[in-house]
Amino acid sequence: MNELGRRLAEIAFTELKADYLLTTSREHGNVGPVFASRDEDLGEVTFDVPYQLVKILSRIYPWIPQGKIAIVARRCDEKALNELIKRGLFDAARIVLIGLACDAEQIAKCRCSDPAPSRVHFGTPNKGVEFDELAVRLQSMSHEERLNYWIGQFRKCNKCFGCTTNCPVCFCDDCVLEERTYVAEKGIPPGLAFHLVRAFHMADKCVECGECERSCPGDIPLLTLRKTVLKDMKELFGFSPGDQNSVSPLLTTLEGEPLEGDDDVC
Amino acid sequence: MSDFNPTILAFCCNWCSYAGADLAGVSRLQMPPNVHVIRVMCSASVKPEYVFKALSQGIDGVLVLGCHIGDCHYLTGNHRTAKRFPLAQKILGEIGLDERRLRLDWVSAAEGEKFQQVITEFVAEIKKLGPNPLREVRP
Amino acid sequence: MMSVRHVLTTCPYCGCGCQFYLQVVDNRLVGVVPCKTDEIGQGRLCIKGYNAHAFVQHPERLKHPMIRDGDQLRRASWQEALDLVVSRLNEIISKYGPDSVAVLTSAKCTNEENYLMQKLARVAIGTNNVDHCARLCHASTVAGLIYSFGSGAMTNSIPEFEEADCILVTGSNTLETHPLIGARILRAISKGAKVIVVDPRETPLSRMAYLSLRQKPGTDIAWINGIANVMIRENLTDTEFIKARTTGFEELKAVVEKYTPELVEEISGIPKEKLVEAARVYARSKKAMIAYAMGITQHSNGTDIVRALANLPLLAGHIGKESSGLNPLRGQNNVQGACDAGALPNFYPGYQSVSSPEFKAKFEKAWGKQLPEKPGLTLTEALHKALTGEIKAMISFGENMMVSDADITHVEEALKKLEFFVVADIFPTETTRYAHVLLPAACYAEKDGTFTNTDRKVRRIRKAVDPPGEAWPDWKIVCELGKRFGSPGFEFRSPSEIMDEFASLAPIYGGINYERLERESLSWPCPSADHPGTRVLHIGGFKIGRAQFAPVTHRAPAEEPDAEYPFILSTGRNLFQYHTGTMTRKSPKLEREAPEPYVEISREDAERLGIDDGDRVLVSTRRGSIALVGRVTSRILPGTIFIPFHYAEAAANILTNPALDSVAKIPEFKVCAARLERA
Repeated sequence: MNELGRRLAEIAFTELKADYLLTTSREHGNVGPVFASRDEDLGEVTFDVPYQLVKILSRIYPWIPQGKIAIVARRCDEKALNELIKRGLFDAARIVLIGLACDAEQIAKCRCSDPAPSRVHFGTPNKGVEFDELAVRLQSMSHEERLNYWIGQFRKCNKCFGCTTNCPVCFCDDCVLEERTYVAEKGIPPGLAFHLVRAFHMADKCVECGECERSCPGDIPLLTLRKTVLKDMKELFGFSPGDQNSVSPLLTTLEGEPLEGDDDVC
Repeated sequence: MSDFNPTILAFCCNWCSYAGADLAGVSRLQMPPNVHVIRVMCSASVKPEYVFKALSQGIDGVLVLGCHIGDCHYLTGNHRTAKRFPLAQKILGEIGLDERRLRLDWVSAAEGEKFQQVITEFVAEIKKLGPNPLREVRP
Repeated sequence: MMSVRHVLTTCPYCGCGCQFYLQVVDNRLVGVVPCKTDEIGQGRLCIKGYNAHAFVQHPERLKHPMIRDGDQLRRASWQEALDLVVSRLNEIISKYGPDSVAVLTSAKCTNEENYLMQKLARVAIGTNNVDHCARLCHASTVAGLIYSFGSGAMTNSIPEFEEADCILVTGSNTLETHPLIGARILRAISKGAKVIVVDPRETPLSRMAYLSLRQKPGTDIAWINGIANVMIRENLTDTEFIKARTTGFEELKAVVEKYTPELVEEISGIPKEKLVEAARVYARSKKAMIAYAMGITQHSNGTDIVRALANLPLLAGHIGKESSGLNPLRGQNNVQGACDAGALPNFYPGYQSVSSPEFKAKFEKAWGKQLPEKPGLTLTEALHKALTGEIKAMISFGENMMVSDADITHVEEALKKLEFFVVADIFPTETTRYAHVLLPAACYAEKDGTFTNTDRKVRRIRKAVDPPGEAWPDWKIVCELGKRFGSPGFEFRSPSEIMDEFASLAPIYGGINYERLERESLSWPCPSADHPGTRVLHIGGFKIGRAQFAPVTHRAPAEEPDAEYPFILSTGRNLFQYHTGTMTRKSPKLEREAPEPYVEISREDAERLGIDDGDRVLVSTRRGSIALVGRVTSRILPGTIFIPFHYAEAAANILTNPALDSVAKIPEFKVCAARLERA
């Protein structure tokens, strides 16, 4: 266990009194997730390689009936957790955040406008960036140019489902994108419907973590698409995902009340 | 394009707009033939997935017609619709499809003439927009 | 406290060799997380990789040894089953000789296991009849390139595709069969690379290519020689390289002279301007790579086709340097390793020839036993000899011949004729039905070991969960068999020990050991413990001195269309299923994507025959008939049809022609004559 690991363990297990900790460490010449209980060795902890720990936790969490879990969380992870907690997928009382502030290089890669976690344990908070360069370029294109651009990008899609598998706020066990009813094509690439449906489903949930884009073997600029849709959500409804309280406008009446017959927020 | 004959889907809710469509038909109101009406119980049951699938497969235009706000048979179903479809339109725009290929409107059971008007306007609009560019595209 | 582990391992599906973490809670697999620092995947996987955990803990996994009792298989103990295997084999060996037994290893099993399996055949049983499914895919590559370059392996490495300025892809639907290699090619395109795809079918990659050439199936030597013709005629060859590093140029020149673009168009249908353009782009590019797969190899003259293709980088000097070379894309996760480990009838581990007295002596000394003299039978020949009664017994480690081999009707006859048939597998299959003894094996997630991917890199797999029931890792099964045969050299306590022995005998693996593999993956040749491994082959020269040009000529496939069977049938794969479907069909998300067998029919042919998309169709060849759904598409040439071979219920291999390449003994899966009608 290295120095960073020791400090992290101290915060997670002693200060925050967690029973488990999820972070990343270097082993076998690679960097990957490590989920440890208080007596386990964290190994050579490093934050250099950003893994989508909230999604990784989502698959483990149903099998851990009790205990508090500390997770090293960037600002996007914090927002993702808020979205999932609102939907009852995590018990807020069982999750504690260890805030990680992203460095300028990571912020630039994600074109992140909101990079500072509520409470910072590691890293120094940096300013976000205003613009996604590609989004600006797309805005200035004609419809035809824009469509040609996206068709060119989406033809690289080979339905790996990396975007949905690794997205922290994608929580359906049975994804509609697996249904021929909605995505008619039998082979690859799937038609535009795949990407349009995904864009719609993410509109009120996406926290701009960028994992979809990082997971795409076709290097499709998915994060840019998400950002443009989030901007539209803001304009249409004054809503942005990621906080603990506000309900998605797609789940309320025109007056902002719960929809008739909807008992839970989902 | 003078010889372009658009293919258009119209999702009409059972209680209001479908009845309105019926009324337009029974009243022998003249309407262009390009529209395929699909009856649903409520405009809220029109999942954006259907609309996206239709457009990505080359349908030239999609109409979603529901009850006027306040008149929904299921009370707040059309509220859901009213939120969804502006968003769906924006998403079409972000991809580069013309937002005007998707239209949401409210037509009551008594509004045979409004139904005729909406259909006629929409078909004319789509004719102006031209065929869905995705008709030609092979991914 | 729950135990939650993230176990770093390598994908069990294709030859890309992506690494990921298996998420394990206590003994339960709950998910897959791509490894972001992995060289191949770089944090990405394909749909099969994301579902690589789905079949592992499936309820139908084989859990107990079984012994045939009349029509049924009854449960037995390991002791009883293994004793029976050895006693029956000993009977057969004493009655008919050791060469009446054939051992089929598994390209899905680890290097260590393949090493032991070939050792079992050679030392315990006493035969060189050991082979595996490379026979069905890249046997022509191994045979062909050993002649051309002295080494049958991919010359460069996967990351290098990204830096190439020209990539010629032929006989490979890369985005579907090697998605993470396809990903590199896509990056190259985004950086301005010119990709040339030569394939009878339109593929996801060909639609994005700079040039897409579509040839009539079975005409590859024609277009390849055509490219050579243009290069020579237009002085686009690297004359210095040819002079310094090759032999046989004049003979090649004489042969390719007649393969003018006009003649090539006549034979293959490729428009002559496109051929000329392809040749010019390939030759003039600074960093040009060729990638190829089954479209080149699975022919009755596959070895010749591979050798013809090898002529091109030699003519252009595009070999022995970064982002160049000839790159066969190996299919199975460890087919490269299985070949490396000597699971071949004519090679000991490390490609040391069985026919060489020097190597024979070396292995006899190492293994402490006299070894058989002649090279053994290939898998395809062994099945044929089972039919004629010369092969009496077979041990198959996980091979599903009843779906994967050509002309299944005769495969079935052959298996039924065997006096003794032992199968080790992870699931019951169409082949396990014929077993006299069925042994439950552990899969990749349940054992330690190594896989070698298509670019020669050796990676660890690590045990994440326990095998089901009484299933054992194959290496343990082989050790127990070896011991019961009374053979020395089967006392291994771990895969690490097996690798140490293998590495000590195979110089290309010489420097590979588990201590090093803890920290890094290594590309062979890696001859010593301080050698960093080798990315690019043939830098500065060839092992055989000079590379050999191959003056080969176009020859028609073994069976061509005629009035009775007017279509060309090609078989192949799709993205969602893998080979015989043993694993993918047990994975719900994969099965759901491509659940049913189908035949691709061109629009013109469909219209002519009155077949609509979705109609049931009967496809027949001289070998048999199958009924399946027709898929009308514009992606294939009129006069051709295409059937993926994954679906046992409409097995494409009932139809295929078992005509073999004379050198490599690989069947002609890619071309035979078929008839089509509405069912």
